[in-house]
Amino acid sequence: MIEQLATLAPGPFHWLSLTVLLFAIGIYGILTRRNAVGILMAVELALNSGAMNFVVFNKYVAPSAVDGQIMAIFVIAIAAAEVVVGMAIFVTLFGHRRTVDVTRMDQITDAAGTN
Amino acid sequence: MISQATETLLFYLFATVSVGLALATVLSQRILRAAVYLMGVLVTSAAFYILLGAEFLAGVQILVYVGGIVILLVYAVMLTRSSELLEDHPSFVRKGVAFVAASAFFALATGVFSATRIGTAGDGHAPAAVADTTLEIGRRLLDQGATGYVIPFEIISLLLLSVLIGGSVIARRSLAKAEETK
Repeated sequence: MIEQLATLAPGPFHWLSLTVLLFAIGIYGILTRRNAVGILMAVELALNSGAMNFVVFNKYVAPSAVDGQIMAIFVIAIAAAEVVVGMAIFVTLFGHRRTVDVTRMDQITDAAGTN
Repeated sequence: MISQATETLLFYLFATVSVGLALATVLSQRILRAAVYLMGVLVTSAAFYILLGAEFLAGVQILVYVGGIVILLVYAVMLTRSSELLEDHPSFVRKGVAFVAASAFFALATGVFSATRIGTAGDGHAPAAVADTTLEIGRRLLDQGATGYVIPFEIISLLLLSVLIGGSVIARRSLAKAEETK
């Protein structure tokens, strides 16, 4: 039993399948959500799986270096920056339009109250 | 051998939990619950980082993602009264297109990397893995040499500073406007 499990230890293919699956779920969320904050959450899901890919390749291709982990740290830092700007924009949008429904954001000009 | 068996078990356990929570994140009708599910996905990702031998990254993941980004998202939900905007069921066409796009990406990516022979370093002639990854990450981030990352590191800190300023300016203008209209 234990020997069998040990031979089934996850390799790069399994790890990459997992991250690709998470990324695909993120794509689905980006395309189906109507709430802008929900879209941001799906983007976070995709970014997180992308960062994990760097670590997977770090472990299986170049275990004698930590470049992949450093890239993952950069991805996490930029994700934090992106969420801050996104939240500021959504709060501003909500102040103008009283909604964050992306299907109703079809005007560039400030036309509060017309829709 | 025991450690490999444990690794297998933990990998499949966390993979199931992670995929289930990710699906719940994108399918949940209530946006606050989606935020909680997203937090679960990020915690399991930290567990994956530990399985991959990146302990420092697991800590960063918990601190920045779970402690920072998810909290910000919850604030965004509350400040925009998104919890009142229940997601209605997206139309069938929209769901279908999204499903086709996501599964096409999955099929394409899986096909590409299963056709690729990834040059894994575990073929006997590999150099030893880094013993203390945290120490090595710190050294590389502040290394000024050709393989160091000190310039990207400084650029990231500048980016975070500009995001701090930009975010507060954008959000403050809208708050001031909301005060005027009251």
